[in-house]
Amino acid sequence: MGLVDATQAALLLLVSGDAELWGTVGVSLSVTLRAMLIAMPLGIAAGYLLATNDFPGRRLLIIVTQGLLASPTVVVGLILYLLLSRQGIFGELQLLFTQTAMVIGQVLIALPVLVAFSLSAIQGADPRARETALALGAGAPRIAWTLLLEVRFALMAAVCSAFGRIVSEIGCALMVGGNIAGVTRNMPTAIALETSKGDFAQGIALGIVLLLVALGINSAFAFFQGESRR
Amino acid sequence: MSLLVVRSLAKSLARRVLLAIDDLNLSAGKSYVLTGENGSGKSTLLRLLAGIEAPDGGSGCFEGRPFGWKPYPDWLRRQLTYVHQQPYLFHSSIADNIAYGLRARGVARGERERLVDDALSWARLRHLLDTPPARLSGGEKQRLALARAWVLRPKLLLLDEPTANLDADSRQQTIELLRTFGSSGTTAVIACHDRDVIELPDMQRLDLVGGRIVQ
Repeated sequence: MGLVDATQAALLLLVSGDAELWGTVGVSLSVTLRAMLIAMPLGIAAGYLLATNDFPGRRLLIIVTQGLLASPTVVVGLILYLLLSRQGIFGELQLLFTQTAMVIGQVLIALPVLVAFSLSAIQGADPRARETALALGAGAPRIAWTLLLEVRFALMAAVCSAFGRIVSEIGCALMVGGNIAGVTRNMPTAIALETSKGDFAQGIALGIVLLLVALGINSAFAFFQGESRR
Repeated sequence: MSLLVVRSLAKSLARRVLLAIDDLNLSAGKSYVLTGENGSGKSTLLRLLAGIEAPDGGSGCFEGRPFGWKPYPDWLRRQLTYVHQQPYLFHSSIADNIAYGLRARGVARGERERLVDDALSWARLRHLLDTPPARLSGGEKQRLALARAWVLRPKLLLLDEPTANLDADSRQQTIELLRTFGSSGTTAVIACHDRDVIELPDMQRLDLVGGRIVQ
């Protein structure tokens, strides 16, 4: 099948509502959204604590977090695989090759992005914001909430960046998900599999969806970054 | 009657003395203007009194109740407020900015709305209600910051150069608000170089030189 034919077939798959294709899209978005729901509060809270507190080891934590930004997702997958496999310390939980394992993997990949970007956003906030909240009688929780609201666009950019990183990652999803059709097969792993099988139409169709998702996320990222600088 | 008494208040930075005040006694309902050269410690004193910075040492007594700075007590924070030279306005609405301190004090919604309404009238900001705070002029921002402080009815108001960088009209409007603020029974300490503020009626002058009060 040529590229043109394959693309035509891919578009047909998309508009015909192909169950397998849209099922794969559903798995992808469901896993990524669940991972983001877990990672967002953890990552932003950790970024806030690092930005506003001084404690022994803080500098080391920041360096490690920034170093983990570039960690290969396949290595995260490998470590998680070893922990979740039958011989691993969490083997009894029988999580390997489940969506839960994929969610855990994506949380681990998203966290450094969220922590590092939140840290940077909160450190970049006008110091008068905190001082004004303090002078108006706010307690620590209200000051934290106020600061996060003041840098909300930069935080949204952090969320978009983390979402973009995990929705398209393949290494960890393949290792701990196992690419099981209808269960753990997501867009990136399905594209790799279908292409290796020579089913370009399915791969191209999923590629188009993934591209649109990534484009949407990156547009949102650019918008929020622009808003945060206003 | 004493509102605030501070003793042996000291602050240094890299061996440079920023502030060294042996004794400061502020009477209830009076207004004070802090004068002095740049770097004489005016802003530092205000920030220490507001609990935004901690001193190296010192003790205080507010309405007869002793307090220290580490940690700065919440009950005292609710009795006073501080306004920056260039006030910071939250990225929300004008009404939300005014309501901020009321929310922090747990004032019920109905009462909060009534107080915000009063403050809008007091600072003549009602016509700007739908304007984002970031689009306000310098004078309007200063009036909003004063309204945000006034609505709390603080016993002690700490203002850092409230008329600096304002045009003539805005300056006059701000001075007028300061006059009415002072007449409401609030004790005010205003760091200022502006002669019109220094010469406001019943304004007592505190001159700072090298971090010490000399007058």
